[in-house]
Amino acid sequence: MRIMAYEALDFYDVDSLLTEEERMVRDMVRDWVDEEVIPNIEIACREGVFPDEWRVALGEMGVLGAPLKGYDCPGLSYTAYGVICRELERGDSGLRSFASVQGSLAMYPIWDFGSEEQKNHYLPKMASGEWIGCFGLTEPDYGSNPGDMITKAEDMGDHYLLNGAKMWITNGTIAELAVVWAKLDGVIRGFIVEKNDPGFSAPEMKGKHSLKASVTSELVFQDCKIPKDRILPGVKGLRGPFSCLNNARYGISWGALGSAQACFDSAKDYAMSRIQFNHPIASYQLVQNKLSWMLREITKGQLLAYHLGKKKDSGTWIPEHISLAKMNNVDIALEIARVARDIHGANGILDEYPIMRHMANLESVKTYEGTHDIHNLIIGRHITGIQAFTREA
Amino acid sequence: MNITVLLKQVPDTTAKITISDGKVDENSVSKWSMSPYDEYALESGLQLKEKTGGNLIAITCGPERAKKMLTDAAAVGADTLVHISNDGVTDSTHVQKLLAAAVKKFDSQIVLCGKQAADTNGGSTGPGVAELIGAACVTLVSEVNYSEGNFSTIRPSNSGTEKVAVDGLSVFAFDKGTSELRRPNVRGIMMAKKKQVESITSGDLGVILNSSNVALNSQNPPPEKPAGQKFEGAEHVNEVVSKLRNEANVI
Repeated sequence: MRIMAYEALDFYDVDSLLTEEERMVRDMVRDWVDEEVIPNIEIACREGVFPDEWRVALGEMGVLGAPLKGYDCPGLSYTAYGVICRELERGDSGLRSFASVQGSLAMYPIWDFGSEEQKNHYLPKMASGEWIGCFGLTEPDYGSNPGDMITKAEDMGDHYLLNGAKMWITNGTIAELAVVWAKLDGVIRGFIVEKNDPGFSAPEMKGKHSLKASVTSELVFQDCKIPKDRILPGVKGLRGPFSCLNNARYGISWGALGSAQACFDSAKDYAMSRIQFNHPIASYQLVQNKLSWMLREITKGQLLAYHLGKKKDSGTWIPEHISLAKMNNVDIALEIARVARDIHGANGILDEYPIMRHMANLESVKTYEGTHDIHNLIIGRHITGIQAFTREA
Repeated sequence: MNITVLLKQVPDTTAKITISDGKVDENSVSKWSMSPYDEYALESGLQLKEKTGGNLIAITCGPERAKKMLTDAAAVGADTLVHISNDGVTDSTHVQKLLAAAVKKFDSQIVLCGKQAADTNGGSTGPGVAELIGAACVTLVSEVNYSEGNFSTIRPSNSGTEKVAVDGLSVFAFDKGTSELRRPNVRGIMMAKKKQVESITSGDLGVILNSSNVALNSQNPPPEKPAGQKFEGAEHVNEVVSKLRNEANVI
């Protein structure tokens, strides 16, 4: 029998705008998160592991690569993909990161830029969760500025030779394959590297205070030899990785709302039951002001995410729309987590409550997939027509 | 083999129930769900279908909103969805007549249902339908197995459990089953979206709903629980132990 069904904060009934199919997908993921993720997440974080059962369950539910069509992929709407991200991230940002990387960063480039053989070979097993993928773009010295990456590929006639290193790679150590971006004759190209390719290793990065239930790795290529048919034929230049990032960032704009809702729920419940000066602290104006502010920001974020979903589904979006939603929703989620910690008082630091975990996770989410500041610069460029990323024109 | 599962949509077990003018206010129910015992019946039906092949027919008698529950059943594997309008239904014998007529119409060899619905807790549907269609009925079952034309089932007995074998048309009413209802997946949800719900009325089934001998006078919320008792300090140990033993009966 089901445990207590989760009722999400949805002040403006935004979810009533979803299709019945989208709502059914929401309920499926929501129930799974309640039953399998929330009871186990703190242990996973303490142990610093991504539970393998979650990979299996995501594959069985059929949500990986949600908006991709064909090749045994789910073929859902982008709105449904957003809803899935939100429900997963109510559990934990590390879980949502797993799904984002698998779907938007590893499956998507193969689906959009891969050869027919590559699509048939990789996508069905990635949609089922059997094969995990990761995405290698960021390097130790090139984060916000990936265009100057050092990793390079050389055409050796009958194979390519990769040399270089990637860092901050979600799923790296547990991945069967990596979509790696490297310069071939000075042009950025995508390559599929498999875990047993000679000269490739993916050591795990330890010591994170954030996204502890997610695996983060380095990818190291030392004369890594890969067959010629592993290059992604369909794209050249930064457009390749940026198309992937647009989809992942879109998912994050929904996902962050899941974290924000978890923090709001916990803060509300705590405020209603915590007695100080003979009354629940929820009866005091300063606490009500905080809760009211949280509800206001979550409601605005929901409308932003929903409308962006419609724009993704109708193909009327521009990357700047995604920058705004990613930046705003992660920003408010992090601030909501901090205010929620405040409402919880000292209890807020314990893992009996989800607050500190979400807060620490959101510090990463604010930085990855385009930092908060970079998204501001993307919008700044849109407003003024002047790029402010670099001093060199 | 045609396997029929009888389902009822009820207020979710976590939904708050409000009473206005002596009746449950259905509009204030925030979430409607499949009755939990019916979920066990549905899961058992799905497992039987996997073993024997055939068609799983999900039938409900209820208002329009109950169609959503049929779509949920389709998402986990129900093949045929039948909604019987509850227009003119005033008591449980009406529901039994309609369900029995639908079971006959769809020519089922086996009927599975929950032992009682989570809202009314009446418990009459399984035995009532069995009586009307002339079927064997086994209640409070936890699993149903099929082999060579016979169904066998496990139910509680005086001294533990008993295994009951039935042949021919049978109705099984589920208590808590051995397996929870499976989770849907995206593929199931997308197939469910395409599946039509067959809507039928008492007229379509040739059932005449006679005036009822039963009148529901009023409904009341359960009495509020008395406030908890709080004891502080070691001097209360004897009193607390005595209360736990004699009043709460927990030690």
